[in-house]
This record gives sequence, structure tokens and C-alpha cells, in this order.
Amino acid sequence: MRLVSLFEGTTLVALTGVAVPLKHLAGYPTATAVMGPIHGVAFLIYVWMVINTVSGGDWSKGEITRLLVAAFVPFGAFLNARFLKRREDALAAPAGPADKKRL
Amino acid sequence: MSYLWIKAFHLAAVITWIGGMLALSVVLMALTSGPRSDRDRHLINTARTWDSRVTTPAMLIVWVLGLVMALQAGSFSAPWLWIKLVIVVILSALHGIQSGTLRRLAGDSSRPPPAFLRFAAPVVIAAVVGIAILAITKPL
Repeated sequence: MRLVSLFEGTTLVALTGVAVPLKHLAGYPTATAVMGPIHGVAFLIYVWMVINTVSGGDWSKGEITRLLVAAFVPFGAFLNARFLKRREDALAAPAGPADKKRL
Repeated sequence: MSYLWIKAFHLAAVITWIGGMLALSVVLMALTSGPRSDRDRHLINTARTWDSRVTTPAMLIVWVLGLVMALQAGSFSAPWLWIKLVIVVILSALHGIQSGTLRRLAGDSSRPPPAFLRFAAPVVIAAVVGIAILAITKPL
């Protein structure tokens, strides 16, 4: 989940920070034509993982909102990764390493 | 790769994904509340393995090849494609819920699956009928 979040976040930063300025400032539309679909698929995978993770465990509404909002904010995924790591550690501490797979 | 080759692999992936979702629907219907027997656990683990190794990758292939086809054909301006995409997103979300629920059941949870998942199979079939009509007749 953390890796997918970072992948989604990286493609969002590449799209909004590199490809979109290249298109509008440098007149180079190919970058958005490539990064747009890649980010689209990354976003779908991330939302699917959120739905999957939330269905498999006890998550509060606040945590679910945080996971979803992070996908829309550039660099949000990197803060999200720290939150997911804490959650992963908390889950692993009482139950053992086997449950780490849940995240 | 030519459009027809991509379409062939897209269709093969769709059939595999939908078949997996229907199998998951039946497994989740068969699991009720209460302590899990060894047979239940075996069924859950087998279904999880199939889901993670076959059904979920098939779903990813459906998304990627579907996107490539739509880009190649320039279909994003067609309303039928957007209606189809909404149905695919609903199907994907349902699959995510099924898959997550199965993972929860594989733990020590004795809670039954959410009641609405009992209707997953009819929803999947209705969605497939809708998608087939939209993709083949392209009414809009």
C-alpha cells in the first residue's frame, strides 16, 4: 500500500511539476500525453488499494479521508507514506510480522 | 502491437477478471458467521491465492489495455465509453471490497462478510451485460 501510494504520488508530481509546465510553457505536449495515462492508471491502482485495505481492516473515517485526500495533493503521498508506516508498525507490533502483509 | 491484438488480449483479461469475481462472489456467499472450520480456511486461502495471482493481475491488464485501445481509437469523446468506464470503476471497487473482505476473513475474524456482498454476483452479471451492449452496439 505504501509503495503504491508513493508510485501514485511520484507520477502526480511528475505530471503537475514537469509535464504540465512543459506543455504550457515550452509547448511540448508529448510529456502530458505520456504521463497523463500513466498517472491515471497509478491513481486507479491506488484508489483500488485504499478500497481493498479499508475493506480488510478497521480504519476510521478520518484515516480513510486522509488516504483519499493525499492522492489529490502533490507531495501528499509522501506524508501519507509516513502515516502508513506508523500504521504498519502499530499493526505489526502486537500481532507479529505476518500481519504486515495486511498493509 | 496492432489494435486487434490488443483487443484480443483485453477481452481475454476481461473474461479472466469477471470469472474470478464471480468465483469470489460465490465463495463469499458460502461463508457465514461463526468460527471457521479447517475446510473454510482452506477455501479462503485458495480463493485468496487465485485472486492475488490471477484475478487482480487480469483486472490491471484490463485497465491498461482498455486505456491503450481508447487512446489508439480516440474514443474518449464518445459518451458510451464514459458510461462503460463508470461501470468498470464500480466493478473494480466491488472487486476491491471482495478481495479486502476475503483477507479479513483469512485472519481471525469470525464476522460474516458484509450483507450487500450477497448481491455481488447479480451486480457483476448486470454490469457485464451493460458493458457488452455499450462496447458492441456503441449506442451513444
